[in-house]
Amino acid sequence: MNADGEQQQVDGQIEQRAHALLLASTDNLPWAVRSRLAQARHAAVMAHGQHRQRRLQRLQRWVPAGAVAAAALALFLVLAPHRSAPPVVPVANGALENIDLLASDVPLNGDQAVNYEFYEWAADKASSSP
Amino acid sequence: MAGFATLVSPTDLPTLRKAHLRETQDGARALETFLAGVERKAFRIAQIALRHDADALDVVQDAMLQLSARYAARPAEEWRPLFYRILENRIRDVQRRRSVRSRVMALMPWREDEDETADALAEAPDGSPTPAVQVESDEMLAALERALTALPNRQRQAFMLRNFEGLDVAGTAVAMKCSQGSVKTHYFRAVQALRARLGEFRT
Repeated sequence: MNADGEQQQVDGQIEQRAHALLLASTDNLPWAVRSRLAQARHAAVMAHGQHRQRRLQRLQRWVPAGAVAAAALALFLVLAPHRSAPPVVPVANGALENIDLLASDVPLNGDQAVNYEFYEWAADKASSSP
Repeated sequence: MAGFATLVSPTDLPTLRKAHLRETQDGARALETFLAGVERKAFRIAQIALRHDADALDVVQDAMLQLSARYAARPAEEWRPLFYRILENRIRDVQRRRSVRSRVMALMPWREDEDETADALAEAPDGSPTPAVQVESDEMLAALERALTALPNRQRQAFMLRNFEGLDVAGTAVAMKCSQGSVKTHYFRAVQALRARLGEFRT
């Protein structure tokens, strides 16, 4: 066997021996140490449960609020005017008066009847003049 | 909107709560099994690195709590390298704190009057075997611990994680936060150093 091969064999033996010794040492830990390790483990597991519980509580608190916010948003989107709607023409100041006039019982040409005769006379005059 | 309502409807909360409880219990069981499987090895790794039982216990407890708080939601296969990464970080923190403290204490003229004798002794690299092992192979274990203690930090980490804990190269690289090539190099050098110190060890 060459030097490298022997060295590898030695290394392998050292590794195996070290592993076995260290592993055996874990079985011989004092009771106090094992007890402390168990306590630490339980504390970590409890902390895990509490952490998840807090997350659920946060979820429970925010889900209804989120649902309300989503409903409000949906309502706004449904009821809000669409951007593509035609622009609203501003109502002129006199338009309301016209509506009143149209709605009233008084005839439009009551005492201000149109003088058709005048227009006929004016048309004749214009056609007869050179 | 309908999808959203289906997803988070408040009427589903009891079901959600039950599923959450079941998941929590399963997760807790898995976490407990995992921690029970690694706690002794983790303690021995910390103990050999720090040469102080109480500090080693604190470090292991911190690592357990950190794992449960931050990484318990990750798949269980990822826990082992993550746990050892946290552990190694904590070990390094303690070593740095000690280093700073010893430097500060060195500047204090009244340091000899301090009642820190216990800590100073604990920090001293005396290499004596811990009372953890009371078996026939005490001498060998003590020699191994001395040799491991004398290794540079990275080499010791690589050796302990690969050889003792049984992590593969990839897992060790995650735990040590370095490349797989570095892990192989550190491990090879650690074995070389151990061979030089423990030539008769194999018999």
